[in-house]
Amino acid sequence: MGRLIIVLTVICLVATIALARVYDITKGPIAEQERLRTVSAIKAVLPAFNNDIDKDAREVVVGRDKKDRDIKIKFYTGKMDEVPVGVAFQMTAPDGYAGDISILMGVTPEGKITGIEIISQRETPGLGNKILQEVWRGEFKGRSLEDGPKLAVKKDGGEIDQFSGATISPRAVANVVKRGLEMYRKEFSHGG
Amino acid sequence: MDNVVEILLILVSTIFVTNFVLARFLGICPFLGVSSRIETSIGMGMAVIFVITLAALSSWLIDKFVLIPFDLVYLRTIVFILVIASLVQFVEMVIRKTSPALYNALGIFLPLITTNCAVLAVALLVVQKEMDLFPMLFFAVGASTGFTVALILMAGIREHTVHARIPRVLQGTPISLITAGQMALAFLGFAGLVKM
Amino acid sequence: MADSDITSSEIAELQPASGTSWLNLKELSGDLVRGLWEEIPLFRLVLGTCPTLAVTTSATNGVGMGIATTFVLVASNIMISLLRKIIPDMIRIPAFIIVIASFVTIVDLMMAAFTPELHHALGIFIPLIVVNCIVLARAEAFASKNGPLRSTADGLGMGLGFTIVLILLGSLREILGNGTWFGMPALTGIMGLFNYEYQPMIVMVLPPGAFIGLGLFVALANKIEEKRKGKK
Repeated sequence: MGRLIIVLTVICLVATIALARVYDITKGPIAEQERLRTVSAIKAVLPAFNNDIDKDAREVVVGRDKKDRDIKIKFYTGKMDEVPVGVAFQMTAPDGYAGDISILMGVTPEGKITGIEIISQRETPGLGNKILQEVWRGEFKGRSLEDGPKLAVKKDGGEIDQFSGATISPRAVANVVKRGLEMYRKEFSHGG
Repeated sequence: MDNVVEILLILVSTIFVTNFVLARFLGICPFLGVSSRIETSIGMGMAVIFVITLAALSSWLIDKFVLIPFDLVYLRTIVFILVIASLVQFVEMVIRKTSPALYNALGIFLPLITTNCAVLAVALLVVQKEMDLFPMLFFAVGASTGFTVALILMAGIREHTVHARIPRVLQGTPISLITAGQMALAFLGFAGLVKM
Repeated sequence: MADSDITSSEIAELQPASGTSWLNLKELSGDLVRGLWEEIPLFRLVLGTCPTLAVTTSATNGVGMGIATTFVLVASNIMISLLRKIIPDMIRIPAFIIVIASFVTIVDLMMAAFTPELHHALGIFIPLIVVNCIVLARAEAFASKNGPLRSTADGLGMGLGFTIVLILLGSLREILGNGTWFGMPALTGIMGLFNYEYQPMIVMVLPPGAFIGLGLFVALANKIEEKRKGKK
């Protein structure tokens, strides 16, 4: 009986030590990969910039969720030779077909959209997940709050394409983009 | 009131919309292997509901009070699988001692449950999604009930098709998989019903 | 790990050296090939179906899952084979599970660090390799009874057999369901040549396509085996 426990304990110890080593080695690269993910998405939605995007970022509390925790949004400002070219931030649409859709959107200082990227979604493959297509996401470029009702899917009287058989996902994205623009105007209208 | 609605949503979502077997592909091995009679499926299902709920609760507690405080989150997989394996042993022992009738009904299924990936999956999902205690419990109950529903439906279909004339190469696993495919197709009808 | 690079052709070249008793290459190649057809895990034993169905929405995912599982299979087979005389019989299964879970965690962390996109796509099915019945079954049935060299060959063969089916199913589902193969235009490209737009069979990338696709593959394997047996 004693031998059983010793052998099992030794195996557990060796395994834990080995895993702790691997964890230490991979911790850095994993954090770096996560940062790169954000940075590459920001690069995709903003015009060219050359500042350190992590430094020119600020977090703003925009409301409270059901559990009474702060909802925070991080605004990343891209600058070319110290001149701001746009702000990127993440928004989440709660009304996708199969759950939340998170997008990253870029907006110029004038309030025009420079691009959107889908960060996470679980929409139906082949139907709702066509929101991933670059052509469709491109339809948002250059739009702003001045477009008014045109910034909506065609079924809602706007100019954004929906897909046959799937209106909910594109509508959710269009609505969240609009909300994002409103949020941007509120946060940055005082020259911030 | 909000809580009741939330709980109902979790149950409907885990049992029908993202059914563990037919939409998430978890617990397929026992699903294909065991279900040939309705009674055995019910027995297996009950054992799974019991073990999954207990396993989710213990994993959740260990995660919250040991792994996260000590920054040992990377040990989740290894700790959870050990918890599940010991839990199954323990439950088997307790049932054998206390209730021979229950043991006769569930006992033979218990050893199979350790390698049922649905158990480890529920344990991992509830901590990954950072669920609170009650949603977590209902998620576990719902997920395992979803497994049981799929298992019983499959057994019902099989009981009716034993005498069907199936081409020889399709007999056994292939026809089970294709039947499961048609069930999955039917369950797709629930998609979009509830959002989780 | 150097042993894992042995291919069957190399084994044939090395044949004359097989006189030594500890290195029986014929036996070794037998161990390797067994997993590729006779006991190919998914068709013969219907083990490891969950990850197979879940991740094969594309051929790339199939390859990723296959390689991850093969690594765990080979590594845990070697380790268990080395420890087989130390581990008392009574605690064999828990000990195996710890060894397997450790290697799975290593794969999980490595993939998160170096192939983040694949890690994201495979998600929860990476830690679930622990309960992939193939791994524990090989540990129990083979590695706990044989030497490290033969266990390596066995793990490699079983892993490759598993990977091949994942790639086949992933290819079928991606080509029909999305029109692409490994992300490159396949059916969409061919149809494009004739100025037609390929309408993907969406059902193939959805859950029903996974079940039906694997069912048809198993049936095909049964048919081939039947023909083979008939000839003998």
